[in-house]
Amino acid sequence: MMEHTPFDHAPDPELGALLREALTGPEPEAFLHRVRAAVTTRDDQWDVLERWARPRVLAAAVAAGLVLWLGVRQLAQPELDAGVMVASNRASTVLSSQPPSPDEILASLWESR
Amino acid sequence: MEDADLARAAARGDAHAFGRLVDRHGIAARRAARAILRDDDDADDAVQEGMLAAWRAIDRYDPARPFRPWLMRIVVNAALDARRRHQVRRAEPIGETLETGGLGPDRLAEAALLRERIVASLATLPERQRIALVLFDAEGWGHAEIAAALGVPEGTVRSYVFHARRAMRRELASLAEGMR
Repeated sequence: MMEHTPFDHAPDPELGALLREALTGPEPEAFLHRVRAAVTTRDDQWDVLERWARPRVLAAAVAAGLVLWLGVRQLAQPELDAGVMVASNRASTVLSSQPPSPDEILASLWESR
Repeated sequence: MEDADLARAAARGDAHAFGRLVDRHGIAARRAARAILRDDDDADDAVQEGMLAAWRAIDRYDPARPFRPWLMRIVVNAALDARRRHQVRRAEPIGETLETGGLGPDRLAEAALLRERIVASLATLPERQRIALVLFDAEGWGHAEIAAALGVPEGTVRSYVFHARRAMRRELASLAEGMR
């Protein structure tokens, strides 16, 4: 079992003084000044960055949306072209002297629905 | 003005109020960081990082609870992170940067040796024992406050302080023998 003494319940002033002396370090006032300055300055920088970033993030989002819309539109284009092809296939089938293939019949039925 | 009042003002964006909290707790934070890191510059950087993190998170501080352990927990974590980052780097002793206080060369050398030995003795302790010892004996914190700062039960803090003191007293006694 661990032996605690009544002295363990209160700080040891001698040991405390030695530790403070060894760990405080030089120029405590200058250190505090540095920390205060660093905290507020760096925070200002974050504020500036945030203020700067907000409208630009919005602009980037709008630009990305536009690019996405154009991309989707571009992908949809071949389907429209395919539709034109099918329509012209049906016309050519009617005009042709050859009997239509089963695919051409199915395509024209599908198109007429 | 109480810490909690200053923290409330800081949470509303009052940087001056947070500056006053830095003034109140910065030196204790520096000592705790030095007990963890030993390297002066790393310790000072860790305090700065910790204070900055606390400033950014000040709106998450609950004013119903004590401010000091909340802040110290952030600073201690910053110091532990820094130590992990610099694990491979060998720390230099603190001795050469301490104030001279106008002592003569013999006393100066003796004082420097004592400090060096204290720092070296501290370094032999497990990390949490070291922090608990510094906060209890050097800063006069209560066991409960240290327990809150370290995130451990109060009984564990008592055990840390007990073992750390025993080891330190043994080291200091051998140092005193050597100086006679």
